[in-house]
Amino acid sequence: MTYPSVYPTGVTVYNPEKCWSGYTIYQAREKGALLIDMNGAEVQLWKGLHGFPNKMLPGGYVLGHSGERNNAFGMQDQTDLIQVDFDGNIVWKFNQLEYIEDPGEEPQWMARQHHDYQRAGNPVGYYVPGMDPQVDKGNTLILCHKNVKNPKISDKVLIDDVIIETTWNGDIVWEWTCSDHFDEYGFDEAAKNIMSRDPNMRPTGGDWMHINSMSVLGPNKWYDAGDERFHPDNIIWDGRETNIIAIIDKKTGKIAWKVGPYYDSSPELKALGWIIGQHHAHMIPRGLPGEGNILVFDNGGWAGYGAPNPGSPTGAKNALRDYSRVLEFDPTTLKIVWQYTPNEAGYLHPVDSNRFYSPFISGAQRLPNGNTLITEGSGGRVIEVTAKHELVWEYISPYWGEKLNLNMVYRAYRLPYEWVPQLPTPTEVPVKRVNVKTFRMPGAAPAGHLRETTVAGVRGYQGDTALCVAAGEEASE
Amino acid sequence: MSNTIYSATGCTRCKIAKRCMSELGIAYEEQDMKAEGKEAFQKFYAANRKAIYRGADGVEFPIFSDGIVIRQGIGPVLAHLNYQEKLNGFFSVGSLHKEWVDGIHISGGNPEYAEEFLNVLRYLKTNNMKLQMDTDGRNPAILEKILLEKLADVVIMNIKGPGALYGQIVGEAVDAADIEKSMALVITAPAYRFRTSIVPVFREDGSISYLQPEEVAATAKWLDQVTGNKKLPYFIALAKPAELQDERLKLAEAMTADMLFRYRTAARNHQVLVDIEKA
Repeated sequence: MTYPSVYPTGVTVYNPEKCWSGYTIYQAREKGALLIDMNGAEVQLWKGLHGFPNKMLPGGYVLGHSGERNNAFGMQDQTDLIQVDFDGNIVWKFNQLEYIEDPGEEPQWMARQHHDYQRAGNPVGYYVPGMDPQVDKGNTLILCHKNVKNPKISDKVLIDDVIIETTWNGDIVWEWTCSDHFDEYGFDEAAKNIMSRDPNMRPTGGDWMHINSMSVLGPNKWYDAGDERFHPDNIIWDGRETNIIAIIDKKTGKIAWKVGPYYDSSPELKALGWIIGQHHAHMIPRGLPGEGNILVFDNGGWAGYGAPNPGSPTGAKNALRDYSRVLEFDPTTLKIVWQYTPNEAGYLHPVDSNRFYSPFISGAQRLPNGNTLITEGSGGRVIEVTAKHELVWEYISPYWGEKLNLNMVYRAYRLPYEWVPQLPTPTEVPVKRVNVKTFRMPGAAPAGHLRETTVAGVRGYQGDTALCVAAGEEASE
Repeated sequence: MSNTIYSATGCTRCKIAKRCMSELGIAYEEQDMKAEGKEAFQKFYAANRKAIYRGADGVEFPIFSDGIVIRQGIGPVLAHLNYQEKLNGFFSVGSLHKEWVDGIHISGGNPEYAEEFLNVLRYLKTNNMKLQMDTDGRNPAILEKILLEKLADVVIMNIKGPGALYGQIVGEAVDAADIEKSMALVITAPAYRFRTSIVPVFREDGSISYLQPEEVAATAKWLDQVTGNKKLPYFIALAKPAELQDERLKLAEAMTADMLFRYRTAARNHQVLVDIEKA
C-alpha cells in the first residue's frame, strides 16, 4: 500500500520461461472487458461490457453484463448476465430473476447478479485441462441478490445472497437462499447482537453476508475416498462480512463443510489463522496442481461480527489485519499446503507487510504449471508467482475510473491462446525487472552520491531489526 | 350435558368465547390449562387428541366441549355457540396469533347461511380482532359483503388452476364468472395475495398428473386478464397429496420443492411477482 505518486503501469515483469503464458481478461475500470497478452498489449476491448467478473469461454466468447442497477436502489446488482461473441454480438442472456420498478427508472427484469457465476462444464470459471465450459448449451449457476426480511438476523431489510441455476433457455431449476441457513453458520451471541443492529448496513439494506465467490467443487479426491461433504455437485462460497467459507450440499441446501466465522476454536483453525474479508475461495479443480485444496485470497482488512474491541468499538468488522495472504489449504486437515504472504513476497513482517495488501476484491487462480495468478485488486495489480514464490509476471492496470478514482481490478483470469482463435498467437517478449535502486525519471539526478567524506570514529551499521516495533524473526517468536 | 371451555391464562380469544357464552346465556365450566385446569385439560386431551389439532406452536385455545361436540379455535367455537352446525366449513383451527384470526374460509360453507357467517365475523371485529380470510373464488357475494363492511384485514385467494380444471379440483361445478368476480374483489381488500397449490388432477385419459407449468401460466394469465394487473402478489405452493380428498389422488408421488421453479418461471410471463411460498 506504500505507493509512490509515480510508477509504471502495464506489464512490469515477464519471464516467458517460467510463466504459463496466455491471455488475461479483466474488467478495466469504466472501460470494459479488456483482453491483454503477456506483454500487456490490449488485444481486444469489449467496450462498455461490464464484468463482475468477466470470464472467457473457448471460441472467443466473453461473459459479462450490459449494465448495473442504479446504485440508489441496488447494491452491486448487475442487470443481467450475457454471453458475447468476439464481435460483440449477444448470443445468450439471463435477466429474469426479479421484476424491478425503481423510481424514475424503466421497469425491467433483472438478474441482480453479483460477484460470480459458473457455466456448466467447468467448475470454477477458469481454464482447467479437459474441463472446458460449454458455449452453446448448459446450465449456469449465478450468484444474485434478493431483498428479504429475516427477524432472526435483524429487523432491517437484508440484501440477501441467492444462488440460482438456470438452463440455457432461462428456466430457473434450482435456488438457494443464504439467510434460510442462518442457524447453521455458528454465530455466537456477541455476533448475533451486533448483526441485529448493524447487518453491514448499506444505503439500500443490510449486506449481512456479502458472498463474493461461488463455484462448484467438481470431481475431487475427497469424494472419491468417500467423503460426502465434497460431492462434485456441491457448491463452495465465501462470505466477506462473516469470514466464512462454506460448502453447501446441492441436494439439501444445508452446510456440508465450513471454516469461520471464528478461527480460534481448535488447534487446526489457529494454525490456519484468521481468514478475514476473503475473496474467491474455491476448490482447485482436478487436473491442476494442488487439486482438491482450497485456494483463497485472504484479504485481511476489516470484517466479521463479534465482541467490541479497540479496533471495533461496536463489534462490527471486529477482525482486523493490514496485509493479505493467498492460502492453499487441505479442507480435511485445514493444513496450509502453500501460501503467498508478505513473507513469501519478500517483505519484512509486519513492518512492511502492507505492501501485499488488498482490503477488498481480489482473487487467485491456479495455473496448469503450478504457478498462481493473483489479483491484488485494490491497487490494480495482477501477478503470476511460481510455486517457489518467484514473481514471474506483473501487471498494473493503467485504467483509473473517472467516476471512481481507482484502478482496481476485481478479478483477472488467465486463459490459453487457443480460446481466442480470432487472434494470432502473440509474440512473447521478456520484460526484465528494472532495478529501482537506479531507475530515475527524466530530469532526476542519477543514482549515487557526488561526494563522500569519511567521519572519524563512526561504527558500522547493524543488520538487525531493532525497530520501534518487533519485526522479522523477533515478531514471529 | 355440561359445557366446558378449555382456556389458557391471558388468552384474549378465550375471553371472547366466554363473553359470547355469557351473552347467549350458556352455562359453562372453565378449565384453564395454565392454572388449576391443567390436569383436567390433560385428561380431556388424552381422551380426545384425535379431535384436537396440535400445530407447530402447540394447541390453539379456546376449546369448547359439550361432551359430544368439540370445537377448537375462536372461529369454530363462536360459530358453534351461535349456529351449531350451520356454519360448518366456514371456520377451522387457525395458525395466527395475538390479534390475528385465520382459518376463515369464505368458500367453505353453505352460502345460504351467509348472514350467520357475517354475524360471527362482525362479532370478532367488534372484539378488536384482525381477520385473515381465504377464498377459492366461490361465494363471491359473501366476499363482496365482507369487503363492503370492511370485515377482512387480509384476503388470500386460492386460485385452484385454470378454468377448465377448476371444477374438478374443488370437487363441484363452478361458474367461472364467480371466480372472476372474486379475483376482481380480492384486489380491493386492505391486504391480499393470490396463491396456487400444485395439485394432482385427473386427465382426460384417466391418468393422474400434477398441474403443469403451462397450466399455472394460464392461471396467472387469467388473473391478469381479469384484473388488468400483472404485478399482483402471487405465490405457488407444494400440495400435500395426503391431504387431498380423493383417495386416488393421495397416491400421487409428492413433488419436491425444486420442481416449483419451472412453474414460477412460466407464471412470471403473466404475473411478474410470482414467487414460491415458503413452507
